Amino acid sequence: MGRRSFLRTSAVLATGLAALAASLKPLLEMNDFPTMERFLQKYYKEMTPQDMARVLKRIEDETEKQYGLRPHVRDLKPVDGVEFVYCLNLTRCIGCRKCVHACVAENNESRDPEIQYIRVLRLPDGSLDIDKADHFYSPDSVPEKGYFYMPVQCQQCKNPPCVKVCPVHATWQENDGITVIDYDWCIGCRYCEAACPYWARRFNFTKPSIPKERLNPDMSYLGNRPRRQGVMEKCHFCIQRTRVGRYPACVEVCPAGARKFGNILDPNSEVSYILRSKRVFIQLKEEMGTSPRFFYYFDV
Amino acid sequence: MTPNAKTGITLAVLCAAFSALTLGFLSGPGETQWRRPAIPLVDTNFLDRSTTRKSYADLVRAGEDLSDFDCYACHDKNKPPPLHLDTNGNIIVAKEHPDIVMGHGRHGRNNNCFNCHNETNLVLLQPRDGRELKFADSAQLCGSCHGPTYRDWEAGAHGRTSGYWDRSKGPIERKLCVNCHNPHSPRFPSRQPAPGPHPLRDIGATAGPQTGQE
Repeated sequence: MGRRSFLRTSAVLATGLAALAASLKPLLEMNDFPTMERFLQKYYKEMTPQDMARVLKRIEDETEKQYGLRPHVRDLKPVDGVEFVYCLNLTRCIGCRKCVHACVAENNESRDPEIQYIRVLRLPDGSLDIDKADHFYSPDSVPEKGYFYMPVQCQQCKNPPCVKVCPVHATWQENDGITVIDYDWCIGCRYCEAACPYWARRFNFTKPSIPKERLNPDMSYLGNRPRRQGVMEKCHFCIQRTRVGRYPACVEVCPAGARKFGNILDPNSEVSYILRSKRVFIQLKEEMGTSPRFFYYFDV
Repeated sequence: MTPNAKTGITLAVLCAAFSALTLGFLSGPGETQWRRPAIPLVDTNFLDRSTTRKSYADLVRAGEDLSDFDCYACHDKNKPPPLHLDTNGNIIVAKEHPDIVMGHGRHGRNNNCFNCHNETNLVLLQPRDGRELKFADSAQLCGSCHGPTYRDWEAGAHGRTSGYWDRSKGPIERKLCVNCHNPHSPRFPSRQPAPGPHPLRDIGATAGPQTGQE
């Protein structure tokens, strides 16, 4: 090799290496490298109880490191003989949005950037045309004359389009009717967001932020444990509450008592009574064939 | 110029350009970000789960002042209080009851205190069927007129619910009519809505009714 070609080759090599180093620079700023443990984690449905116990401990450690608060993370399984159904009384809803913020607080949704599972639509009286809906309404007091309010969240469809499009099976429907997401398995392709006709799925475009004092330490694996940047999330009927027999946060906070929740397989539950005897406006976007477990009804 | 020399010059220029870019990237301030307006935390008042009003039972449980319910501290036990109506037939509430605004029903016919209160014993309530009820049992009084709503309330389809949907795990907590409705003017009160989704504009610049309350 001549001197000239040696110099030329080494100059090109040095520049190339420097360019490579520069292009990898963002990695230096990344502080959320997956640990080997997380990287090698098994698929949710293939995990043994021992695997799950290890994973839950890892999540507790990671959360404690990030927020300085040790949470209690559980993996709650669906209860036999239970299928959850939600009923919302459109006559009673006053559009106060307390459900939105109770949900954010309960489910550790990011405050800034803002992620909210529930969107309250304001519609003019006498119409169910979603094109006329406004969700930025902000009057001094609600309800307003001439409008009614329709909160929309995940409808927990019986025939969920979001589950069908997931290329990695990171989201699926459980036996009690809740469609869940494994945040450790989600690759963030957002196909499910595009498939959902209800705009119920939310994506973490940036790192979520929750102040430590507002973190809810009662967590579940498929539910409200902290999410990372680049994963989907959505309403899961407060798995950490409903699978131990409690009502979801949005039901408990509704000042007008417009929200009803229960087990449709129990003939004595409130939701069975409502579907049996109240005027139920079938389901939102019924023509999509998604068959939601979320029903809107009226007082007559 | 020989082809070899041309190649050499091109490579030298490219190397210089890439080196400059590399230096620029490594020493620069990083990517410039679009500055999103900061989203304020929601006021904790909007997270409050308490009911609109307190029922008699709540007041007893909380050990609060019950003097409002001690009718005979002021009224005479043997003398039913008189009713005063104006020329339109609307009731004139005595000035000793400043907190009572009569607005029960839009027909204006529900203008008689003793439609619900027992005139011979003011600490009791009396539905039209002649039963005598304590203040704590007021729901049955409401149900004596509002039958379908009472039926829905008993079935859990009307009114607030909290606690456990699974009765084997814990109790369900129901609220009474008077937890949300003022019996004298039962229309559900309007309230300030919690802030909606942040529009991600700098809302200081577009001050107006859209800005919401943070």
